Amino acid sequence: MSMYLLTSQEIKQLAEEFLQSHAVYGPQVDAQTGQVFFDQLDAIDALDLDAAIPSMPVKEILFPQMERILKYRYDADQQAVTMEKSYAEKPKVLFGLRPCDMAGIQVLDRFFIGQEYVDDVYLVHRRQSILITNTCTRPWDQCFCVCTHTGPAAEEGFDLDLTKLADGYLVQVGSEKGQAIADAHGWKKADAAQLAEKNAVVNRSIDLFPEMARDNKAWISRAMNRITTGLVKPEVWEYVGNQCLECGACSFVCPTCSCFNIEDANMCDGDCERLRTRDSCSFEGYTRMAGDHNPRIPVEDRRNKRFFCKLSYSQSKKYLRPGCIGCGRCQWVCPGDIGLPNVVQYLRRETTE
Amino acid sequence: MCNSLRHEETCQKDGLCPIVTFPEVVNIDEIADEAPEVKTFYMSFLDKEVEKNFRIKSGQFIMCTVFGAGEFAVSLPPSPENDRFHITVRAVGKVTNALHELKVGDKLGVRGPFGNGFPFEEIKGKNIIYVAGGIGLIPLRSSIVHALQHRKDFGRIILLYGSRTAGDLLYQPDIKEWQKTDGFETYITIDRAEPGWDGEVGYVNTLIEKANVPVDNTVAFVCGPPIMFNSVIDDFMKRGMSEDAIISTLERQMKCGIGKCQHCAIGRTLVCTDGPVYTYRQIKTLGEVI
Repeated sequence: MSMYLLTSQEIKQLAEEFLQSHAVYGPQVDAQTGQVFFDQLDAIDALDLDAAIPSMPVKEILFPQMERILKYRYDADQQAVTMEKSYAEKPKVLFGLRPCDMAGIQVLDRFFIGQEYVDDVYLVHRRQSILITNTCTRPWDQCFCVCTHTGPAAEEGFDLDLTKLADGYLVQVGSEKGQAIADAHGWKKADAAQLAEKNAVVNRSIDLFPEMARDNKAWISRAMNRITTGLVKPEVWEYVGNQCLECGACSFVCPTCSCFNIEDANMCDGDCERLRTRDSCSFEGYTRMAGDHNPRIPVEDRRNKRFFCKLSYSQSKKYLRPGCIGCGRCQWVCPGDIGLPNVVQYLRRETTE
Repeated sequence: MCNSLRHEETCQKDGLCPIVTFPEVVNIDEIADEAPEVKTFYMSFLDKEVEKNFRIKSGQFIMCTVFGAGEFAVSLPPSPENDRFHITVRAVGKVTNALHELKVGDKLGVRGPFGNGFPFEEIKGKNIIYVAGGIGLIPLRSSIVHALQHRKDFGRIILLYGSRTAGDLLYQPDIKEWQKTDGFETYITIDRAEPGWDGEVGYVNTLIEKANVPVDNTVAFVCGPPIMFNSVIDDFMKRGMSEDAIISTLERQMKCGIGKCQHCAIGRTLVCTDGPVYTYRQIKTLGEVI
């Protein structure tokens, strides 16, 4: 694929151009808290491509916390129903995705649109989005993408990929959509020298992991083997279950968690809206059926489900990779200290005992 | 046109093209009381083109919308051939209670049919035993009617049916009709003796002995509450039946029907797309308690 060398100014211009026709999302640093959010940009000045990994995964843009998937009105007197069968479709640019979040989107793509049934709601969001990734020139505290093979540089899935070099940005094209954008601009071609420089940047970033990314390590292949074969002792799941506060935070910050609930809500004006909201397998109501029969009551039954989903071979067949993409957010938010890297450690410790 | 990848691969081939995303509107033509809290709703699609393309396999289910209340998964009792489209539902939760409030002429939404369905071609030439407990007869009805429509393709066809009281027995007129078919054996029991009942008394597994069920070249379809399911399986296993020959249909909370919401996950399978029909051998290895 073709490569180009752009100045910082040209990158900014590209974002400005998108802003005319698209909703542009990108990393921004909150002035008060210093937290990074991947939100819609009103002005390109707020875009910070050097910002740390965003607090929330970018799935919010493609698979929102709550979304209307159908609107209808039922007239009981006339015994008639009118339905509004449409989704909000709006072109979007995700500018400056971290490679781990890119891998998360790929997992969602394969799960929602790569299987027997296609999820229309997700497809509508995805169809009109342009993905621009941004190589991490350094890791952050909670990163472990080197363990999950999702960084520090994106390898596939993007339309355009940016890497900050000494003299500007190396832009690599990853799709026809990306090539069309490149062709529309007279960008300067990059050559092998810049590619070598990128490789050096990536290698330096990897070298910085022992020093800078000290929070998490996860040798997930070892855990996958145990989980897939069902060899994990029940006591280990009980231990994990006892630590769980059933808050669901891990699911909501995970770039690959995609469970949802559907509820019909009556609006004040007589309309009904079918809402799809994210759900978490840690909640007791998740499997509860009508008549209050619940096949999965103990919390450890629900907790091991989450790790089964992330780390079993059968689920990986749907994702074409393990369900964990190494962003470390679950470890960051978990009040019970059972983020995925920790659970992998417990499982591995069990195997050596 | 369905919007699933299935369309190119299988929909066109087997003609089973589900309604995936937006519900299609159906009219309630008739409502019949089956038992306390159980009603049958006969329905027809408003869009006749949709009705023509709406074809089911026995054992599949639909997602049914009660407008204003929500959507629920429900198994399909009608036979795939020459049968009225209907569902039989017990009022147990928010949406099913709302459904029971509806009148003839009210509208419902339907998505589906989803799921793998019972085997039919594969079991031709075999004896079939249907074992149903309570409302477990609802998902089996489709297969029973279908098998009786092709009576000569099968060996013995036996129905073992148990319910709590005589008043809870479903599909009474249907069962009388089926009994007219040559060689259809029915054994019906209720849990405790009651005035006016001169049939069998006891749990459904006692009927296995009475019916002297065959073991070889036989499949058993078992559907009912977990406690009944387990004791029936025990009896069949003792008689030397193969784990592959015992077939059941499972239920779980479902939201989407197409393998995306993951509410119906049991171990490594999803009941909506991999199931709801499993053999006992599969059920044993799902990796989670049923």
